[in-house]
Amino acid sequence: MIFNIQRYSTHDGDGIRTLIFYKGCPLQCQWCSNPESQSFGQSVLYDSKSCKNFGDCALTVPEAISQNSNNGLEIKRELITDPEKLRDVCASKALTISGESLRVDELLAEVEKDLPFYREDGGVTLSGGEPLAQGKELVLLLQRLRQRSINTNMETSLHVKWALVERTIGLVNTFLVDLKHTDPVKFRQYINGNAHLVMENLEKLAYFGVNVVVRVPVIPGFNNSESEIQSMVDFVSTIKGINEIHFLPYHTFGVEKYRMLGMDYLFDSKAQLGEEELLPYIQYAESQGFKTKIGG
Amino acid sequence: MIATEQATKITERIAHLREKVLSTKPTVCTERARFYTEVYRDNEEQPVIIKRALALQKTLEKMTIFIDEGELIVGNQSSGHRAAPIFPEYAVDWLPEEMDELDKRPGDAFFITEEHKEELKKIAKWWKGKVLWDRGRALMTQELRDLQDSAIIKATGNLTSGDAHIAVDFQKILEVGLRGYFEEIELHHKRVDHSNREGVRKDKFYSALAIGLESFQAFILRYRDMAIYLSKESNDPHRVTELHRIAENCAVIAEEPPRDFYQALQLVYFVQLILQIESNGHSVSLGRLDQYLYPFYQKDLEAGKLTEAFASELLENTWIKLLSVNKIRPWSHTRFSAGGPLYQNVTIGGQTIEGKDAVNELSFLILESVGRMKLTQPNLSVRFHKGISEEFMMASMKVIEKGFGMPSFNNDEVVIPELINMGVEREDAYNYSAIGCIEIAVPGKWGYRCTGMSFLNLMRVFLATLHNGFDSQSGQTFQKGIGNFTNFSSYDELFKAWQHQIHYYTRKTVEIDTAVDTALEEHVPDILCSAFVDSCISRGKTIKEGGSKYDFISGLQVGIANLGNALAAIKKLVFEEGKIGREELMEALEGNFEGKEGEKIRQLLLNFAPKYGNDDDYVDLLLRDAYMEFIEELKNYHTTRHGRGPIGCRYYAGTSSISANVPSGAVVPATPDGRKAFTPVAEGSSPSSGTDLRGPTAVFKSVAKLPTEEIMGGVLLNQKLSPAAIQKDADKHKLISVIRTFFAELKGWHVQYNIVSRETLLAAKKDPEKYRDLVVRIAGYSAFFTTLSPDTQDDIIARTEHSLNF
Repeated sequence: MIFNIQRYSTHDGDGIRTLIFYKGCPLQCQWCSNPESQSFGQSVLYDSKSCKNFGDCALTVPEAISQNSNNGLEIKRELITDPEKLRDVCASKALTISGESLRVDELLAEVEKDLPFYREDGGVTLSGGEPLAQGKELVLLLQRLRQRSINTNMETSLHVKWALVERTIGLVNTFLVDLKHTDPVKFRQYINGNAHLVMENLEKLAYFGVNVVVRVPVIPGFNNSESEIQSMVDFVSTIKGINEIHFLPYHTFGVEKYRMLGMDYLFDSKAQLGEEELLPYIQYAESQGFKTKIGG
Repeated sequence: MIATEQATKITERIAHLREKVLSTKPTVCTERARFYTEVYRDNEEQPVIIKRALALQKTLEKMTIFIDEGELIVGNQSSGHRAAPIFPEYAVDWLPEEMDELDKRPGDAFFITEEHKEELKKIAKWWKGKVLWDRGRALMTQELRDLQDSAIIKATGNLTSGDAHIAVDFQKILEVGLRGYFEEIELHHKRVDHSNREGVRKDKFYSALAIGLESFQAFILRYRDMAIYLSKESNDPHRVTELHRIAENCAVIAEEPPRDFYQALQLVYFVQLILQIESNGHSVSLGRLDQYLYPFYQKDLEAGKLTEAFASELLENTWIKLLSVNKIRPWSHTRFSAGGPLYQNVTIGGQTIEGKDAVNELSFLILESVGRMKLTQPNLSVRFHKGISEEFMMASMKVIEKGFGMPSFNNDEVVIPELINMGVEREDAYNYSAIGCIEIAVPGKWGYRCTGMSFLNLMRVFLATLHNGFDSQSGQTFQKGIGNFTNFSSYDELFKAWQHQIHYYTRKTVEIDTAVDTALEEHVPDILCSAFVDSCISRGKTIKEGGSKYDFISGLQVGIANLGNALAAIKKLVFEEGKIGREELMEALEGNFEGKEGEKIRQLLLNFAPKYGNDDDYVDLLLRDAYMEFIEELKNYHTTRHGRGPIGCRYYAGTSSISANVPSGAVVPATPDGRKAFTPVAEGSSPSSGTDLRGPTAVFKSVAKLPTEEIMGGVLLNQKLSPAAIQKDADKHKLISVIRTFFAELKGWHVQYNIVSRETLLAAKKDPEKYRDLVVRIAGYSAFFTTLSPDTQDDIIARTEHSLNF
């Protein structure tokens, strides 16, 4: 299931790229900037700011949606059994459904729209959610892209069983691997995942000689300290064949979406991380021989 | 390429001169009006061309001139910086009517003394019934006057000023000098056969040219004398040397071809001034400055006579001097040209006539000096072509980053082949330049108004289409329709009704143009402008009489994106899906989408129909088809110069409508694209604001689906960029890469970039619907601004500079 296709993406891989965002992720990072990407099913987003109170949604699923007194909606998401029914109901698009099953040829058609812009180094980046957690259509899409000589990148947490990674080797030009932490306790506590799984997969992936760029999201309150960043850099240093580490500074661009999904944002919605704060990390990574970059 | 970063600092002199012009409040100068009125009054027996020659002569002899402390390039259009001269022979009635309000205008305010007000009132009285405006209107049928008054077709600018939109043959001026023109004129004057009517007219034409050129020379020599006088007064030996140089420059170029870069640039500026004293048409452009000045630059540099730093200083001084030129327009026209622009275009880059990259060191110098000045003049255009270097594109990006909208890009890959296709000779086609904002012409060989100043309001025509031809704003039916929308049973019927209306209005734009052009030809012929355009002298004709080598013109069609979006919304929501009923739609439009039901229909129109700018064939092709009806119809007509000499004499389409989208929208009721009554329509060929949600590549693809090769009057595309989006070199390269695809492969016509300012972000926070397409970026991540939380929005606002313009 896809929740967004974003053309002219310039931060996730080289050149001009089309990003395909898959819905569903085995991890739940509390700072996740695309919270709608976490669940594998469809999500209902509601933006009270653009709600005009037409009431069509409440008429469609009266059991789950009611209009409240102050010109807004009361939504009981657990009672919406078929979100698809709501897709084209809201005239002002204050209520939208995230998540759409698109066939491989539909995706390809969308990707090919920007073909002339990809030029030498651009192409497609599969992102998410966790693209590797998707079914076999993912491989099918990669194969079709390969047939058309479209460069592919995969943005992944590698937090899946190895077999799911292995099936894409040879079909992906560059893996952009999120390395969030090396401490299993923190990894479990903040992300609800297993750090070892990611680290092992990363080692295996590199062993296959594929092109890997490690990307470290720098999150205040989670891993924003020299010792934590250094331990990640040190870990990557032990793996042969990985030469590049990008640091992605924490941002709050996704906060509004939590509100729209009826979710709580547990991180600091006002925290800021200036690029200059990442300079020590950059310096350290470079001292260890890595090419670095801030942002994608 | 030589080091171009060298002169990154502005000298104290330039900083001072720049500040002086910027801080000068625009005023009105009455000198020109006084002299022109006197000469017209005292020479009533003379043919108009002689009257105008004598009037120009008197003005150039008597007008106040000055040389400012520190100036290297001299010359002034009127008695003060930014003092707009008055051109009473075009239109002057409006002045007494508006003079008490001039300083209170919300934009483009002018200050005028009580004494000057009195003088202008007297002048206006004398001109009653004699001006171009009255004469042009008198030439029109009642229907055409009604159409003009209805604001469906707007050609006010053409009748209240000269039409200009032209670049003269600077190359030749620099080669032969002013003396060269005398020789040529004399040669042809001698051969005139006085035994026929044509000969009598030609004789006067050549006499007028000679008077005009002599007065031009005398004008230049006044500056020589003034420089000598000032040098005697000055105690600063350095300034004395400079003044001597200025005097020498003027002495040489009054007669002979310039001998060096400095003199060449001074002469170019004088010509530019003279053209804007003779007539008040705007978009008088400098053409390919980096090409025709380069031989001088190169020679001086090699001879050690010139440094890059001094050349930069001269260029910067010239840009300030260009800003010093001013124009006052009636309020009705001002709204179409907000910001008081003169659109004096400088074009750089492109290809040589051999098809090689024409970028040279001077191109860099011009680009960077314009970037340092950050002024609204000149309007800088870069001609893109496949072989343009990454280095020059990067240098352009660095200027774009400064956020004053320059340079804009024109595309050789579409313009040159199409010019050749239109009958322009190969070497002329390769030598085209931008004129005014984005339109194009071959400098020195093309007639006036390659595009500009007559506006067709497409959405008014579209609304008339829905109402059986009835125009609700004027209460008239100009062209009876083939039925009401409520009776149409299919999209095809709607389209037929559109054809019926647009063919009529297309013809009417030509009819209005024809009346206007006839009046311009008869009453305000330009003398020097004709002298400097090929082949006026050899033919013995002014440009308007058919003197130019080429003649193609266009008006401007306003509301492009709205037209496509309206068609798509009706086709899909009314005829295909039945989501909106025909009566329901018409009621909602009439009620301006008021009430909950009206608003719901507006939301459906906005959100459930494809929008131009998202690379969606559905709407893009509907727009193309609808616009083609105008374009094809236009091919049936010729300009008034047809059969009188020039190649072409045809019309083509144009969309470079500047700020016309605001006043054009102000006279259009609610439209089926979900636009509310009297709000702006979309500008140029850009998507409607807030509707392009698929990013710049999708916008490029939509725009490229327009029949760009038919819209030689310009396919204007404005794009917004967040400042952070091109801060890093890697990002600049990515933007260049997209531009390369747009131009080289998709054959796009033009693009220019505005850097999003703090003001825009504040407006977007307040009114998200209009800014849904606004993308902002912080390190490595982009998002639609209006989707962000208020806190994050505030944070981004806090990080964004105030409007980057001075």
